[in-house]
Amino acid sequence: MEAPPDPAPLAAAPAPAPLRAPQVARLREEQEKVVARCRESIQHWKKVDEDYRALQERLGALPDKLSYSVMVPLGPCAFMPGQLVHTNEVTVLLGDNWFAKCSAKQAVGLAEHRKAHVRRTIDDLKKVMKSFESRVEFTEDLQKMSDAAGDIVDIREEVNSDFEFKAKHRIAHKPHSKPKTSGSFEAEFPDGTKAQALLADEALWARLEELERREALLGELDSKPDTVIANGQDATSSEEEEAEEQSRASDGPHPGAAAPGHCDGDVADPGLLSGRVNGHAHCSVNGSHSYHSDEDEDEDEDDSEESEPAHHAVGAGHSSVPTIYFSHTVEPKRVRINTGKNTTLKFSEKKEEAKRKRKNSCGGGHATPELPTIRTPADIYRVFVDVVNGEYVPRKSILKSRSRENSVCSDTSESSAADPEERRGLLRGLSWEEAACSDAGESIPEEEQEGQPRGAVPPLAGPPEVQAFSGTVVEKDVLSPCAAPRPAGAHPLLPPIPERKELLSEASEEVTKRVSKFRAARLQQKN
Amino acid sequence: MDLPLREARPQDSAGQAPPDSPAPHREDLGSKIKEQKIVVDELSNLKKNRKVYKQQQNSNIFFLADRTEMLSESKNILDELRKEYQEIENSEKTKIKK
Repeated sequence: MEAPPDPAPLAAAPAPAPLRAPQVARLREEQEKVVARCRESIQHWKKVDEDYRALQERLGALPDKLSYSVMVPLGPCAFMPGQLVHTNEVTVLLGDNWFAKCSAKQAVGLAEHRKAHVRRTIDDLKKVMKSFESRVEFTEDLQKMSDAAGDIVDIREEVNSDFEFKAKHRIAHKPHSKPKTSGSFEAEFPDGTKAQALLADEALWARLEELERREALLGELDSKPDTVIANGQDATSSEEEEAEEQSRASDGPHPGAAAPGHCDGDVADPGLLSGRVNGHAHCSVNGSHSYHSDEDEDEDEDDSEESEPAHHAVGAGHSSVPTIYFSHTVEPKRVRINTGKNTTLKFSEKKEEAKRKRKNSCGGGHATPELPTIRTPADIYRVFVDVVNGEYVPRKSILKSRSRENSVCSDTSESSAADPEERRGLLRGLSWEEAACSDAGESIPEEEQEGQPRGAVPPLAGPPEVQAFSGTVVEKDVLSPCAAPRPAGAHPLLPPIPERKELLSEASEEVTKRVSKFRAARLQQKN
Repeated sequence: MDLPLREARPQDSAGQAPPDSPAPHREDLGSKIKEQKIVVDELSNLKKNRKVYKQQQNSNIFFLADRTEMLSESKNILDELRKEYQEIENSEKTKIKK
């Protein structure tokens, strides 16, 4: 009894002091209050129960008679005699102003249900009351005992505030400490990252070197397959270049009219196809050379384009006739470079090739006769006429198309640019013929092509030809300075020979350097 | 003619008698006994053709009841109340004696 005292004493006595009578008395008072409240509520519930009982009784007896004479209440104080009919019809309040119409018997059932609920409540209340009554008794006993013997003490166990604080500190410190540690880590991170970066750099460099080695091996290996492929499929730029070289080689034996004729026969449309292309078609069989490998790298289109002149030179060195032929074929490329097409050259070449191949199948007839006919600048201009429709139509919007070609510098422009290029190709072919005839070298035909238009446009061919010519040649020259950063662009009329030298040298340099793009970028970054 | 009689509720009073609180219960019981006495007197003094109505518990409706039945009922209730009252008084007396 004494050991497990009520919660009240604990709360009542702040210190381990003898139980104080007033506090215990107050506890008893509170407990008695609870008991009293319980009693009241029990009484209330009992009354409710009683009411339900009476109601049940009444409902049970109600259907006994058909009608009851009653005093009908008209308000709290007014009554009038009436009759209660429909004695077996009751509306029961279900709650929230909802009523259920039912018979008296059902109403009795409902009343019984409610009575059960009321009884349960009463039972609960009684339990509470009993427990509190017992508590009251206990507190009374406690009071008596404490009064009788004053050595009854309120036992209290005080909470150690320091310990609690410590615990709190621990909790609180965690978030603080974490950031600290993280901060220290962060301080260390930079070093680690640096080391990592260094390691990564080393690894990267090693990887790059390995890749380069592989590239070199592959490049050499690929060169042969490329040639093989070039014969059958649409060639990539490298293939084209190879083909050009090959064509040079192959064209060598056919210096004069024979070569064009041969080309036409193979390619079917020399007029449409550039000299290069013709070259591809014919001579792909020949193995590729070191040039090809150089070009295979495709580091820059400029390089590849530059390399072409180099090829010419080389070709010229090896066999005079093919060199001449291809110098012209290359020229348009150079021109394009000047105009600023460098970036898309590869693509354009591809497309060109595709187009040429397409046209090879269909439109061979036109150019074959034409090529031999071109002996004068006028004939050259004729070449610049549109051949798209199957007939030579004067080119109307050369400037526009040209400008587009130059400005766009992309594959999209190729559709429009293809024709001019083809014409150029024709030109090349023609110029080559001329060159072959005149033996003046590559520079002469170029100059003829480029220079003649300016001076000779009016006197030469008819209006369509003039237009076509002016568009191709003049614009290149005009646009080249603005678009191309190279000195060659600034001096479009310069003889190609010095350029070729430059290009050759560049190509050779490239050959020696041969650094992958990645590595170059890396080096640049490092620098 | 018809005299609605507001009958006392003997059952209520009887049911409400909590044994724990003797003093208030006794007072209640005393008052109820007084009421019941009056009811009995009234009912007994009514003419025979008078109508008597009994209120339905916890509602405001009065049902017509038989005068004699009501009189007897009320007398019974009065007797019960008196008994109860006497019991309480006896218990109190015994307590006091102790």
